[in-house]
Amino acid sequence: MRDDVAIVGIGMHEFGRHDDLSGMDQGVIAVRRALADAGLKWEDMQFAFGGSAAAGAPDTMVSQLGLTGLQFINVANGCATGGSALFSAYNTIKAEVFDLGIAIGFDKHERGAFRVNTRGAGLGDWYGASGMALTTQFFGMKINRYMHEYGITQNTLAKVSAKAFRNGAQNPMAWRRKPLSEEEVLESAMLSYPLTQYMFCSPGEGGVALILARADKAHNYTDRPIFLNATVVRSRRFGSFEVLAPSIALEHNAGPTVDASKAAFEMAGIGPDDIDLAQLQDTESGAEVMHMAENGFCEHGEQEQMIQNGETEIGGRFPVNTDGGCLANGEPIGASGLRQVFENVLQLRGDAGIRQVPNEPKTAYTHVYGAPGISGVTILSR
Amino acid sequence: MFPTQSGCPKCTGSSTETVELGRRGTLWTWTVQGFPPKAPPFIGATDPAHFQPFGVGYVELPGEVKVEARLTVADPDQLSIGMEMELVVIPLTTDADGNEVMTFAFRPVGEAASQETSDQESKGSANA
Repeated sequence: MRDDVAIVGIGMHEFGRHDDLSGMDQGVIAVRRALADAGLKWEDMQFAFGGSAAAGAPDTMVSQLGLTGLQFINVANGCATGGSALFSAYNTIKAEVFDLGIAIGFDKHERGAFRVNTRGAGLGDWYGASGMALTTQFFGMKINRYMHEYGITQNTLAKVSAKAFRNGAQNPMAWRRKPLSEEEVLESAMLSYPLTQYMFCSPGEGGVALILARADKAHNYTDRPIFLNATVVRSRRFGSFEVLAPSIALEHNAGPTVDASKAAFEMAGIGPDDIDLAQLQDTESGAEVMHMAENGFCEHGEQEQMIQNGETEIGGRFPVNTDGGCLANGEPIGASGLRQVFENVLQLRGDAGIRQVPNEPKTAYTHVYGAPGISGVTILSR
Repeated sequence: MFPTQSGCPKCTGSSTETVELGRRGTLWTWTVQGFPPKAPPFIGATDPAHFQPFGVGYVELPGEVKVEARLTVADPDQLSIGMEMELVVIPLTTDADGNEVMTFAFRPVGEAASQETSDQESKGSANA
């Protein structure tokens, strides 16, 4: 297994709503926590990649962190912004341009469903004006079709939400920390059939920073380096069914998640059976269900029994979204993918506290999906 | 593709022509918009007193494309994947000058026609 880039420091600002802090403030706090975790100073950082969709230009953070002259590049790539920052940092070290740097993501969104800039997304104004162009509609329509094809039940969707809020209650960084029963999930307002309010995550706030180093120097900074074995971002192909699509081709393509997953496993030289736990994009509970199969962890339709049997719980055969996922953490776009990696580093270090996956997991997987049909995957190992 | 565009997402070519799409198809998937969309971009009624949930779905036009559209039906009990649908034009809102703003939608075939079917056709594009 290639293990030539390591994560040597992690920092996070609590996800949720923070009226007194800007999104960038939360990013700065995450950076300082990552530096403290690695025993490093800001002036040690040789480069940075930073991403935020709605909370300012990340490179302006240097006025708070210190004007050291480092190479700081902003990345913006929709819902894969965090994954793209990590991809860029990984390859900067792989290419031996620098030895030590940082990937940063933060965001702060207005309340309620994401407001889509249709023109900015290459779509006509009519699309949003007429009441389409809502990401929530896509997720409702995708899981509705999937339930029809593969026999997933609405109770399984409620179980996914209940698990998320139960895990979130055990995560001091999570936004939603109150467990909810399956009944409460099912009885909440129907937002986009068949998905209820508590089956959806909300746009939110937060920040995450990850410090990366050449693996052969990682022990200078930590006695528990976590190796980044794969980081991949893929966009959509003709025929896939994606968010914000006024039409879909008749021919079928499995979508960017399948492509990103296959490429990541190839890069890491392992397969889905070798993964001990996963953080999978759960914009809504049905997305977690569908992404289990799209990422290769089961066949389509097998999720129904897996979830009903509790296999994706923290103590189950294949834990999924151990930190509560997007459902319990919310979705600050720039930080969301890095939040998943943060959680996997904690789990692989054995530092996840009361939500620690048992039996000393050795490998962990992350997956983000979002507008306009983009997926990012990472594979970590210790 | 719908709507028309200058480039082909399948072959990467840049030569396309406009063709008229059929008016009937089958419901491929659907949902119901249960809360008022943000305005802008939405131009319909958003205040809770006037907002009415509406259906949204993809209608598969045989041999052509799956088109996303509003549906005239918003009751989950009256919608099912595979049902026959046909194009209609429905009122969306009234603009500042009092003019009725229309949009395209699909209704179940055989639904009691409460809206007048327009002669307008949806426009799409295909490879040259």
